[in-house]
Amino acid sequence: MENVDTSTHREKILSVTDITRQIKGVLELGFPNILVQGEISNFKLHTSGHLYFTLKDEGSQISAVMWRSRANQLLFKPTDGMKIIARGNISVYEPRGSYQLDCIQIQPVGVGELQQAYERLKQKLFDEGLFDDEHKKPLPEFPMRIGIITSPTGAAIRDIISVLSRRMPAVEVTLVPVKVQGIGAAEEIAEAINDLNDLKSVDVIIIGRGGGSLEDLWAFNEEIVARAVFRSRIPVVSAVGHEIDYSISDFVADLRAPTPSAAAELVVKHKNELIELIRNFCYTMSSSMENSINSHRQTIETLVHSYSFNRPQDLLRQRSQGVDELTRRLEQSVTHYVQLTRQNLQSLSMRIESLNPRLVLKRGYTIVRQNGVAVSSVMHLQENKEADIEFSDGQSKVTIDHKIVFNDGKKRK
Amino acid sequence: MAKKENKNSFESSLKRLETIVASLEQGEVSLEDSLKMFEEGIQLSKECLHTLSRAELKVKQLTKDLNGKFQLTDFEEQ
Repeated sequence: MENVDTSTHREKILSVTDITRQIKGVLELGFPNILVQGEISNFKLHTSGHLYFTLKDEGSQISAVMWRSRANQLLFKPTDGMKIIARGNISVYEPRGSYQLDCIQIQPVGVGELQQAYERLKQKLFDEGLFDDEHKKPLPEFPMRIGIITSPTGAAIRDIISVLSRRMPAVEVTLVPVKVQGIGAAEEIAEAINDLNDLKSVDVIIIGRGGGSLEDLWAFNEEIVARAVFRSRIPVVSAVGHEIDYSISDFVADLRAPTPSAAAELVVKHKNELIELIRNFCYTMSSSMENSINSHRQTIETLVHSYSFNRPQDLLRQRSQGVDELTRRLEQSVTHYVQLTRQNLQSLSMRIESLNPRLVLKRGYTIVRQNGVAVSSVMHLQENKEADIEFSDGQSKVTIDHKIVFNDGKKRK
Repeated sequence: MAKKENKNSFESSLKRLETIVASLEQGEVSLEDSLKMFEEGIQLSKECLHTLSRAELKVKQLTKDLNGKFQLTDFEEQ
């Protein structure tokens, strides 16, 4: 038998494997990271931990799989009939030539399921202590650089800008634009928190969005956001716009604000308040300074008038008084001495006067000298020699004839 | 590239000012030191008041390019 077809058409023949590989390439590259919404049916949890199910809607159906590593992170239990949005890729299973949705993430759509997931995550994080007060960081008192993580087109950013412009236009705002709802929003919010922490360029972070349904706000109830808020070293204010219900991020955040506007008001003080504060500081400083100067002045004045301060002068006065006293005493003693000396002199001169031999001569005594020497004893008188006799009023020269010595040796007249 | 500015100078100025005011108020500083602190405090309060007098809010937008490099651009409301 001739293989007519081949020769006639000259077309390339593919093996089943070849075509399957080509389909695989087209499908897997053609539908990366897609979101598919549908209802779960034929749900099967395999003993290996992988999840197998069919996702269907009114018109069609697609096989789906979620591998164990990802299935373990689900906070709700998928069941038949549950509406979900799945994120994933199309993959082709070559041995069977079938394609399936390889789910990376599954998010329930129905409120009941969301509520269930919310309660579970809340309980889990609560048990782990992520909501504990001891982990709450205090907000900076005077933040000047505000990081805001929200949608660039939402009401939240407009409200925050409006409040900040009114209250404290001196601050600098860094907006990190993110998706705030839908699949992937949570990842973006978490990444933005991490980025701001890496950059360290803000003093406080506000995350939030305007109000919406539980589904709209879902990103703020996801674990990845909660963990990022918890890890943030920069204080985080959660402002998810619903006054009554709390989102998971509200519980983890350092501060919860009911709306984005309220967050802005909580974060910054009104500039007038700060101006007033600084003016008060200035006033306090001035009056303290004035008080201090006055009190020092008073101290100085007290010192000037104090006994101790005046003591040197006192001492000086005392000393000078002492000097005066001494001088006076000196003068006194000098006078006294002079007087005394004078008296002594007088008495001396009187005594000297009384001893003056001339006075004796006046009374009739004479002095006999021989050879110029006064002779006080007749024994010393040399006979037949000249002698001089001195009277009180003159003298004469005599010659000694003879001399008589008194026997008893006593002088006689 | 985003400008790295790791210090909030307004806050540190204001905190320093607060400390100075408290010290002066307690009056336990020497006259000479308190005069120095007073001068510093007045200077700080002038700087802070000057900062507060800024009238227009600055809003920047932080984005990352494909290489993970940060970009800071002026934000315009849409």
